[in-house]
Amino acid sequence: MAHMVERAKTTREFVGEIIRVEPVMGDAVLTTFTAPKRAVDETHPGQFIQILSRDSTSYDPLLRRPYSVYRVDRVARTMTVLARAYGRGSGWLMQQPAGVALDVMGPLGSPFVVRPKSFHLLMVAGGVGAAPILMLAEQAIRDGKQVTYLMGANDSAGLLPASELPEEVEYVVATMDGSAGYTGFVTDLVPDYLQWADQVFSCGPEPMFRSLRAVIHKHRLGDRPDVQMAVERTMACGIGACLGCMVETRRGMKTACVDGPVFEMDDMLWG
Amino acid sequence: MEVDLAPGNPRELVLRNPVIPASGCFGYGKEFSGFVDVQRLGAFVSKGITPKPRAGNPMPRIAETPAGMLNAIGLQNPGISGFIRTYPPMWESWDVPAIVNISAESVEDFAMMARKLDDVSGVAAIEVNISCPNISAGGFCFGWDAAMSADVTRAVRAATTLPVIVKLSPGALDVVEIAQAVEEEGADAVSLINTLVGMSIDTERQQPVLANITGGLSGPAVRPVALRMVYQVAGAVDIPVIGMGGIATVPDAIQFFMAGASAIQVGTAAFARPRVLMELVDGIPGWLERHGHAQLSDIVGVANPRFRGDWTFEEVQ
Repeated sequence: MAHMVERAKTTREFVGEIIRVEPVMGDAVLTTFTAPKRAVDETHPGQFIQILSRDSTSYDPLLRRPYSVYRVDRVARTMTVLARAYGRGSGWLMQQPAGVALDVMGPLGSPFVVRPKSFHLLMVAGGVGAAPILMLAEQAIRDGKQVTYLMGANDSAGLLPASELPEEVEYVVATMDGSAGYTGFVTDLVPDYLQWADQVFSCGPEPMFRSLRAVIHKHRLGDRPDVQMAVERTMACGIGACLGCMVETRRGMKTACVDGPVFEMDDMLWG
Repeated sequence: MEVDLAPGNPRELVLRNPVIPASGCFGYGKEFSGFVDVQRLGAFVSKGITPKPRAGNPMPRIAETPAGMLNAIGLQNPGISGFIRTYPPMWESWDVPAIVNISAESVEDFAMMARKLDDVSGVAAIEVNISCPNISAGGFCFGWDAAMSADVTRAVRAATTLPVIVKLSPGALDVVEIAQAVEEEGADAVSLINTLVGMSIDTERQQPVLANITGGLSGPAVRPVALRMVYQVAGAVDIPVIGMGGIATVPDAIQFFMAGASAIQVGTAAFARPRVLMELVDGIPGWLERHGHAQLSDIVGVANPRFRGDWTFEEVQ
């Protein structure tokens, strides 16, 4: 009881002020806002926040929108998310300039798990799935790991600029139109790294996940390396109360918001 | 701010304030720790519990709609036995009444669950979800029929001395008739409204958004309908009425009190803003004070002719 009262004092809802909005990856933006020390310190790669994406006088869209955290700055106490206009929520967020107060919940969900003994980390990102992978790559470099970051996009404009990544990261890109790097799917690049990688981490659109899964099943030996995927689901509450964002796994139905968004690829049932 | 939701029941259901998170929207109480101080709430209602464990519906289970949402979770829950083992022991030490919402597809199963809950420590009351299909009536919803609603209430009443709240369905042709029927059979209170059945179609996929096709509509979009039904029911029964449907602000809650609700439940609004629950707990007394009212009961029913003493049933209709 005492424990509960104590926890309730530090609400995980906060208001952050947007301090920077930078265009990136063609039609996306990096939105950076202030956050309490606790929220910044407790956010780990793969976790997400829920942003109320409407004006205070409006009920549309009603529900918050989940965003993987792209970066935290523990000194400046800021958080950054990567947004691209898919719908009304992300469209609203992209239009918010510096100075706007954002209503935020988080950090939420379970992060990527890098095993202490893993040294070679392969990361595979597509689209705004680059966000949690970027934060993971930065953390991994700080922890002295070797990182190869594979990213795919339709064209060179859609790629994360190399300047966003720590220079220690080996950054390899693929574009569908051949305007940068390998021509074709980013997942075509994966087989070359499977002998090397101790663990694989991925975030991207559903077709990329399916393609990655096929490539991994075809090319890896046994069940190594294992693959962690940060999935995207429509969510209502984001805290495990509504059970609206379930993911079917070999261990039963799991919530994307609390049990995930990171799941072991080998645990997921693909329907 | 104390509210007595079972004045005729010796086992009592006295709340320190009238703010209650609604069933299905508050998990089992622990999900919101870190967001909401559960022990400052009037009470809370658990997710819907069924006789057997249920895996729930396939995905997608939720769809956003204008100022609202559709849900078709499908009553995912561990079943009454698993539930009793897991949650009431945790609630026992909490200083807040825990209300258990029960759903079943037969009168016998409703009674069985009420009997099992009767002496479970940590359980303060039962909310009976009659918006379920009655298998022996070809799947027709209990809550749409006064006789079937009465049957369920009578069976639950006979099975437990716990305070019993019957949660009414807005799909009933005449919600007043249902409310009077369950009052007659010994319900301590009624709560309304449950969600309205709706659907949404994904025009690109050319398919319903929800795997279940239809779902329950909630959120500010349903509030005028909910308020109208609360007004009608509060004008026609003598037991306490718990109002819900799209409440997201203090003035929204005040409307329900003025229509005749003694307490309110909040669901969808807490998904988007958990702290709305604390804003209501703090804001309702603030509103009353600013408007010169010493207690909540000063405004309960003030906009409803029956509470003014000049009520006639026809007027409320």
